[in-house]
Amino acid sequence: MDKKIIIGAIVVVLVVIIGAFAFMGGSHDSDPTHLTVAAHSNIKEPEAGFNPLTGWGCGHQNYNPLVQSCLFKTDKNGSIVPDLATGYSVSGDGKTWTVNVRDDVKFSDNSTFDAEDVAFTFNTAKQTESELDLTNIANVTAVNNTCVKFNLVEARSTFIYDLRYLGIVPSDSYDNSTYGENPIGTGPYVLDHWDKGQQAIFKINDNYYGDKPYFTQITLLFPEEATWLELAKSGEIDVVPVATSALNQTVDGYQFIEKSAGRAQGVSLPYLNDTGIMYNGTMKVGNNVTADKSIREALNVGINRQTMCDEIFAGHASPEFTGVDTRTYANPDAKVADGDVSKAKQILKDGGWTDTDGDGIVEKNGLKASFDLYYPPDYLDRQSMSTVFAEQAKELGIEVKLVGADWDTIYKNLYSSAALMQQTSPDPYKSIYQQYHSKEMDGFYMNPNLYNNSASDRLMDEAMHTSDLNQADSLWSQSALVNGGGWGPAGDAPWVWIANYDYNYFIKDGIDIGKQPDGLGNDVLINICDWSRTNSTA
Amino acid sequence: MLNKNQLLKFFGYKLIRFLILMIAVSIFSFVLLDLSPIDPVNAYLKQAAVSEAQRQILQEYFGTNVPLTTKIFHWLIDLFQGNLGTSLIYRAPVVDIILEKASASIVLMAISWLLSGIIGFLLGVVAGKNKGSWIDKAVKVYCYAIQSAPSFWVGMLILMVFAVYLGWFPIGFGVPIGVRSTDVTFAEWATRLVLPTLTLSLVGLAPIAMYTRNELIQVLSSDFVLFAKSRGEKGWNLVKNHGIRNILLPAITLQFLSFSELFGGAVLVEQVFSYPGIGQTAVAAGLQNDVPLFLGIVLFSAIFVFVGNLLADLSYYLIDPRIKEKEFND
Repeated sequence: MDKKIIIGAIVVVLVVIIGAFAFMGGSHDSDPTHLTVAAHSNIKEPEAGFNPLTGWGCGHQNYNPLVQSCLFKTDKNGSIVPDLATGYSVSGDGKTWTVNVRDDVKFSDNSTFDAEDVAFTFNTAKQTESELDLTNIANVTAVNNTCVKFNLVEARSTFIYDLRYLGIVPSDSYDNSTYGENPIGTGPYVLDHWDKGQQAIFKINDNYYGDKPYFTQITLLFPEEATWLELAKSGEIDVVPVATSALNQTVDGYQFIEKSAGRAQGVSLPYLNDTGIMYNGTMKVGNNVTADKSIREALNVGINRQTMCDEIFAGHASPEFTGVDTRTYANPDAKVADGDVSKAKQILKDGGWTDTDGDGIVEKNGLKASFDLYYPPDYLDRQSMSTVFAEQAKELGIEVKLVGADWDTIYKNLYSSAALMQQTSPDPYKSIYQQYHSKEMDGFYMNPNLYNNSASDRLMDEAMHTSDLNQADSLWSQSALVNGGGWGPAGDAPWVWIANYDYNYFIKDGIDIGKQPDGLGNDVLINICDWSRTNSTA
Repeated sequence: MLNKNQLLKFFGYKLIRFLILMIAVSIFSFVLLDLSPIDPVNAYLKQAAVSEAQRQILQEYFGTNVPLTTKIFHWLIDLFQGNLGTSLIYRAPVVDIILEKASASIVLMAISWLLSGIIGFLLGVVAGKNKGSWIDKAVKVYCYAIQSAPSFWVGMLILMVFAVYLGWFPIGFGVPIGVRSTDVTFAEWATRLVLPTLTLSLVGLAPIAMYTRNELIQVLSSDFVLFAKSRGEKGWNLVKNHGIRNILLPAITLQFLSFSELFGGAVLVEQVFSYPGIGQTAVAAGLQNDVPLFLGIVLFSAIFVFVGNLLADLSYYLIDPRIKEKEFND
């Protein structure tokens, strides 16, 4: 009898629970002008709030801050054009930038936007300890209501990217401790509600000076990458990024949209010889195998980048040769023809590397062509790429030993071992200058292989200091290949760049995302004001 | 009967132990964090390209070059003034963050703790009483299976079945997508609790069920039960009169001790269900070396577990007449 009661009770409880909730799960928002977006893991939930001064929209990754707008924006062709600004000029020495701003803009709290706000934003952002690096600004002053003057410590043509991405905050009401939760800006949306750890709901900003967006509400979710596919399958979300493991999948009711991103992945090869010195007593410096130019050249020529794009990214990537192939300052001459195993072998042979002991790996003066390649194993794409790279290198007679490690371990071995790295920035200060300009050893991950070439250095310095942006592009481009040297594979070949991995999204059928600029696919909401939903049944 | 002096002595003793525990825990965690190989600046930057000058600003912000003793000293001084400091990554007072995140977790943990305790105990009693029967075997198989399965895996399984295939429950998150948390109805809020709670309960009930089962079998094979049987007592009454009280005590101890496991389980389950709680925050703070926040959470969890044990002690007093009549001998 007792047994029956207990079993009966359990059954009743289960039935009640399941029954009660079975009818509640399915309800969802059916307003066509509401949009739900799962943010890519690059656009992390901003822990410190939606505050540009602590990195929202700017800093490491660049994306549309929604709530704020910036002095400049990127148009559909990829050019940087005025947004809050109306125009700008750079002084002859490149150290003073004068920007004129609009006089017809109100913040979402109805206060008036003027040059003072711009000066305040940049001066405050400079002092804030964040990933946003404005150390090159000396000071910013408002000349009058519509004119701001930026004084730089040293001339820097890439300052336009700082002006492009830093959202402007109101000087009158800005409060460091509360702004992140209650952001006031001049962007197309206002933050309506933020459930930390889950979602941010944005509503349209009635004061926005540009064309009003079609979507009146955007819900931004910050899910773990592991749940992306399930989120798409649940059908509750309009825009979901596609993880590497789901590249071959399709989801009913969704379009698969592919956006180029300039997300270059490749292998850094230690450039210095191992002379026994250590940095800081802990980091070995140099590698006698990768310091040999013929090894680096052979790898660049011998591997097959297209095969890798197909195998690792199911074709959702394009071959990458210089790390900046898709940018306006790319240098096509610095590329090499790849997939040529016999030529690679010839290069090795000419460089003195031959297989003397018949183990399939070449040697030179008793030194075996073998080096370690460090990669972060928590990224499926980088792990696969390292594996395929090692396989292809073996065909050429070069042994690549794979070491999966956490970032701190990778950093400790950068100067003496190869590492699988990635770089995404459109800003040549980050993607070229910091990557290839010679530096003192500092244990930091910029210029990880200690590449140095004085001719290339000079061109990069010139590119930084010129006040003419077109000339800067041309100088950046030249630094990839100068007098047979330079950081491109046709020059000194300090890197083996492999692939440019596109950003992929599942976007619900019926949503039209307009025309987006190339190379900025990490920011799918870049042109959110042009988006619309064509079938309102979704 | 209830003796005031004894009670005061009991609580005074507990309080001193509590203070010593707190200081030991905080210093210990401080040293551990300092030994952590994670460089907070690198962890914060995540391979961002910044200049040397900006990196120095960040090193200063994260206090990487400050000696450990100075850090501990300042932190303890602040702590005695009731100030847990400001989180480095959230840039908000640690107390605010913990209160906000913990309130979401507490509901989740409390419900699963109660459910797993009650259901686990009942299952254990039923299985123990009917040792060897099909119901005992079913309970045993379930417990072994669930004990050997990691809780995040159970969570994902439940998520796949109930949220993805059957579509009965939302796929995660603590609030419905696109609805302000202040506008959420009770039902909407409750539906989101079901799957994470279910996971935590299903996982949590296994040890308590197995333990109760064994205890009951032991009690039932003891001499006094044999004597009771010879007097003609049998079935449910026998278990009720001679079993329950004897097995309740260890069961309650075990259940209160599981407070610490609850914390660990919640971390994983919150991760799977994208449920914003203290667990997710602890992971973030640990991985990014956010010292003030992490220590705040450590203190919070130490208090949590300490309170759990204290409650267990108090419940003995209420349940076990032997303790009630003697002194608190803790």
